[in-house]
Amino acid sequence: MTQNEINWPAALRATDSGEQAAAVRALHDVLHTGLRIALTGRSEVSEAHLEDFAQESLLRVLDRLDQFQGRSKFTTWAQAIALNVAFTELRRKRWQDVSLDALMADGEQMTEPTMIADDALGAEEDRTRLVATLRHAIENDLTPKQRAAMLGELREMPFDQIVELLGTSRSAGYKMLHDARRALKQRLHAAGITGADIQNAFNL
Amino acid sequence: MRPEVQRLTREQVGGIVKMLSLTTDREFNCGECLQHVSEFAECQLVSQPVGEVIAKVEQHLALCPECREEYEALMKILKAGQ
Ligand SMILES: [Zn+2]
Repeated sequence: MTQNEINWPAALRATDSGEQAAAVRALHDVLHTGLRIALTGRSEVSEAHLEDFAQESLLRVLDRLDQFQGRSKFTTWAQAIALNVAFTELRRKRWQDVSLDALMADGEQMTEPTMIADDALGAEEDRTRLVATLRHAIENDLTPKQRAAMLGELREMPFDQIVELLGTSRSAGYKMLHDARRALKQRLHAAGITGADIQNAFNL
Repeated sequence: MRPEVQRLTREQVGGIVKMLSLTTDREFNCGECLQHVSEFAECQLVSQPVGEVIAKVEQHLALCPECREEYEALMKILKAGQ
């Protein structure tokens, strides 16, 4: 039987323990192979890591079996979960020593080589006005946590790390950031800056 | 002005502007994106147009570098299996 012919959810829930164990083994192999393809060439990922990721994602997939709605192949859905497990862990390792202070403000590692000066962005009046309005809004319209989350994103800090530092959950953190983006957008709108102005000013 | 706002670089302001231009009132969060990304990826693989719900995956991927990194890895796996 090929992978595509297996009814995975049924096999993984089979009451026949032999059949169920065989399905779990087969799924482990599928996830392990996928992770190897996805993570090949990364020097920080060893064989032991691949096995850990495969094991952990297998448990995650089995735990979420009820959430599979059959809108894609089961294996594609399971691989997406496995990649989420693996990349979350890799990002956590990369950023584990960064503190909230560094995220918020003056830490040396955050010092940027180029200061933003409005005229550095070009002489166009609309661009200068847009930048000034935006900076004012970031300064005055956002809560400290919203500002920290947005600056963290801009510094390419992993979102898991940001929400952990801010002491919130991933979904609450996403909502916080979404609300912040909407607040800034509204402020630009109130200042008479349209989507077209933004696109023209920044060549989007 | 706060130092962290003062120190925003040109690239970072550009990044915010891009985020704002992609912002809509109703968006998927990362969990919702993960729930639907497999369907989106399979559509992309065969260049099939996506429906309204799945289009929200594309919008989220444009805004979220982490989900995008995972999506690109998923595409790599799917392409290897073709
Ligand atoms: Zn995301």
